[in-house]
Amino acid sequence: MPGDVKVVERPRAESSYVRAAAKGMSITMRHLLSPNKKTQQYPDEKWELAPRTRGTHRMAVHEDGRAKCVACGLCPTVCPVNCIKLVPAEDESGERYAAIYEIDEFRCIFCGYCQEVCPVEAIHLGVHYENAEYSRERWVYDLERLVEQEHDVTALWDPQDPASQ
Amino acid sequence: MAENGAKATVTLEIDGVEVTVPSGTRVIEAAEHVGVVVPRYCYHPGIPTRPAQCRMCLVEVEGRPKLEPSCTLQAADDMVVNTASDTARTARQSVIEFLLVNHPLDCPICDAAGQCMLQDYAYVTNQLESRVDEPKRIMGRDRISDDILYFADRCVICTRCVRFMRDVAEDDSLIVAQRGDKAYIDTFPGRELDNPFQGNIVDVCPVGALVHEDFVFKARSWDMDAAASVCPGCPTGCNVTIDTKENQIVRVKPRHNAAVNSWWMCDYGRKHLVMTNRGVRAELPLIRAGGGDGDGGELRPVDWATALDWVAEKIGTLGAPGGSAVVSPDASNENLFYLRTLLDRLGVGDADFRVPQGETAELPTVPTLKLRADRAANAIGAGFFGGRSVDGPPNGSAGGALVVLDDELEGAGEDFGASADFFLYLGTRLPGAARNADAVLPIATFAEMDGTFTNFEGRVQRFHQALRPPGLARPAWMVLSRVLARLGDGEAVDDVRGAFERMAAQAPAFAGLTWDGIGLKGAPAAGSAAEAAGVAGSAEAGA
Repeated sequence: MPGDVKVVERPRAESSYVRAAAKGMSITMRHLLSPNKKTQQYPDEKWELAPRTRGTHRMAVHEDGRAKCVACGLCPTVCPVNCIKLVPAEDESGERYAAIYEIDEFRCIFCGYCQEVCPVEAIHLGVHYENAEYSRERWVYDLERLVEQEHDVTALWDPQDPASQ
Repeated sequence: MAENGAKATVTLEIDGVEVTVPSGTRVIEAAEHVGVVVPRYCYHPGIPTRPAQCRMCLVEVEGRPKLEPSCTLQAADDMVVNTASDTARTARQSVIEFLLVNHPLDCPICDAAGQCMLQDYAYVTNQLESRVDEPKRIMGRDRISDDILYFADRCVICTRCVRFMRDVAEDDSLIVAQRGDKAYIDTFPGRELDNPFQGNIVDVCPVGALVHEDFVFKARSWDMDAAASVCPGCPTGCNVTIDTKENQIVRVKPRHNAAVNSWWMCDYGRKHLVMTNRGVRAELPLIRAGGGDGDGGELRPVDWATALDWVAEKIGTLGAPGGSAVVSPDASNENLFYLRTLLDRLGVGDADFRVPQGETAELPTVPTLKLRADRAANAIGAGFFGGRSVDGPPNGSAGGALVVLDDELEGAGEDFGASADFFLYLGTRLPGAARNADAVLPIATFAEMDGTFTNFEGRVQRFHQALRPPGLARPAWMVLSRVLARLGDGEAVDDVRGAFERMAAQAPAFAGLTWDGIGLKGAPAAGSAAEAAGVAGSAEAGA
């Protein structure tokens, strides 16, 4: 044993845990009874998201259930990470439509350019965050899946103040 | 102006720049000499008639009370033209506003978007809003011929298509029906649009009103890559641009060359060019090296180094010189040159080629542009390199070496090449007649490589790579130069310049030509009809 270990005597009032424990319990009790509780009971309670939250996509549809997309090719062109695949085709009535429309949500950075560039307001980002999947393939949303989504669509800008001034 | 002196040139001022042009030049063309492109719809340099009806090219000329259409206005001495004055710009903006009154603005689904003169001019004139409250008239679309669609709502009634058919093709099959905002393009009552050159009306259309049916909704203009090429359909060698998307040809458009095809090409050429690059292709080198040494066994796929080593070794051990060869008249000059070098080494004389025949078609006002009966891109070039035109099925019964370059061997029997000592097949495809081959080397089509063709009058024209070759297929000049290099003859070339340089140094017909000197407009081969006729070659390329 080293010879010069200094042993400091501490008064009992300082070294007792009783007072500190009582203080901690009082804080706990105060928070337990406080009306400003922060803990959220997810998934029973869900977070309320801002209207401009940018989450996974959703495709708008016509009244008859057809996707509004006209397969113009602007979203794959503007997409900075190339996560949109589009193959245009002609339907029986000679209209242009998307024969294949797939968004890889894993690759997507949720910039919202696709929604901004869409001339027919078909593709939208969504106010949505619950995206757990069992496989990576499920993260590639095809047109059918995009149409099925039911969450709110993102408001990229405030209609009252489109330039954010 | 009253005096009628035969002055060769006139000097005028356009947008503050003085320019001297040949007398008789229109102001719209003179403006291009100073780099000013006056907006235009009805004017097209290849169509002789200028109705000045679109009112888009109006320019201000000092001393004249009203704006003048520059497409019909002859340049004159001391004329001071202002193409961008406030008056001229306002007039242009008004024209655009009128054109947009009934235009559907369906740019997102229009095939011309991105290459549309209405889009461009609406943008530059800053015509953003419409003052019209009335609903737009809707006319829908029509099939104007068996392969061309007409979207009437998009049409600006410039009548380029009508005038191309009437004044260039001399076929009065198209008319403007109705008047005013109800006007549309239609076939003349009781007539059909059925002309071998009708595809050009799609190319002259400044907007997306006329679209080839096989291009509808295929590709946006910004998705496509373009490559300058030459049509291989017939010996005319029309200069074309190949538009590709994701390694597929989606469109073929004529490229201007005053000495060959002017601004046009025929419909056969468009279809033929696409078809030659479709279908199942040979993608891997195959050699018949048995389990032991020598012949026998199945053709089996190997890598290029193994295949080339094996082929060179077999050629090196061949006995007496002699043999035969079948070549395709669609092969490029470089391919034929390297093949000839190899054939000379093997002691093979004439290389047989067969030229399929087809119907001819002429464009009356452009004498150099014809769909010629010979359906081969480079029969003249094949002639330069010891080719011999033959009829009937290919002859593959001789002994010695047998080399086939990209001929599909139609009509060849089951035993084609069976008695040859060594049967080398270089092809883009693998026809049944190649079953007896000792080695099959996959090669690229003309659209998958750089090279040159020699057209009917001896004009050597460059074409450039538009597609990636499938699998391990490579240009034949690249392959053959490697076979020769292994035999101690020259070096392996990777660049078409190297191949062309060697050809120019060794083949008298190409003496003096260089890859860069040929340019995109072509140059006559030595001793050819084109040279004798003094056809404007590289001199015209800069114009």
